Amino acid sequence: MTQEKQKDPTFEEESEEIGGGAEGGQGKRKRLFSKELRCMMYGFGDDQNPYTESVDILEALVIAFITEMTHKAMSTGRQTRVQVEDIVFLIRKDRRKFARVKDLLTMNEELKRARKAFDEVNYGS
Amino acid sequence: MDKARPWLPDLGPDLGVSREAPGMSLGPESSDPGRILPRDTAQEAREASDEEGGESARQDCPQPRAGEETDSSSRPPVAKRRKVDTEGKRGRQREVNEEEAQEMRTLVAAMSQEQLNRYQVFRSSAFPKATIKRLIQAVAGTPVSQNVVIAMSGMAKVFVGEVVEEALDMCEKWGEKPPLQPKHLREAVRRLRKKGQMPSSKHKILF
Repeated sequence: MTQEKQKDPTFEEESEEIGGGAEGGQGKRKRLFSKELRCMMYGFGDDQNPYTESVDILEALVIAFITEMTHKAMSTGRQTRVQVEDIVFLIRKDRRKFARVKDLLTMNEELKRARKAFDEVNYGS
Repeated sequence: MDKARPWLPDLGPDLGVSREAPGMSLGPESSDPGRILPRDTAQEAREASDEEGGESARQDCPQPRAGEETDSSSRPPVAKRRKVDTEGKRGRQREVNEEEAQEMRTLVAAMSQEQLNRYQVFRSSAFPKATIKRLIQAVAGTPVSQNVVIAMSGMAKVFVGEVVEEALDMCEKWGEKPPLQPKHLREAVRRLRKKGQMPSSKHKILF
């Protein structure tokens, strides 16, 4: 089932995005995040088995969010590219998201440094 | 957004990444306007545990900025302040992290089994990076770096959290119980849109 999801041609998503939301955005598109979204909803306070319709609505919302953020990032700073600095700039007003992105990127840097130091220890000797 | 949410500790503005950001950061400094000289780090830690324990948790993001503006006339220029107090800030930051870690430990120890399950799922749930990357690249048309995918997945999760929490508020307000129904989500979206926290209707007609 997961294989099906991944092999599914990306252009199907693309054509639905480019073709506009005429079908309400929930027509033929395969569910991309069903499993993960269910877990996430439970984690945030919903029931252990959330309704499928609710999961679908949230998935559409997430995809719209990511799409819009990507478009905005492409029109900010260095054009036609999506860069982290642009994302951080766009999110500066939203305190929660800004803090979260900062945390994630900081942790990522620390992990990279730790891994590098670990590798050096191994290869140095 | 200013309610105390235990799952998102307010680390304040002075994390490493933001120290260079203009207009931000320098939070703890504004609570200590008289200090210009470098301090002993041990003394630093002691002082930090006194003042940070009370203040940092309550200190809000905009406040340091305001404090900085009003105090700037009586203090040395920004560049000099930064150079001198970096060591102190790192020490305080470590202290703050330690305290928060301790608070989290206490909280987790006090949770029931059901709460622990939920918390575990909350922490470990995430969007698959490959799918997010595919989605961004489909929209952008160009390959994107790994950091972008990391940032975007993190933001998407916070976004889901905002919607679900608002929907749960709606559910409770109407005297109903989870699982959430589409009407709760729709009302939540309407509210968040009013607050300006929703993607605009540029791309999809959802309902």
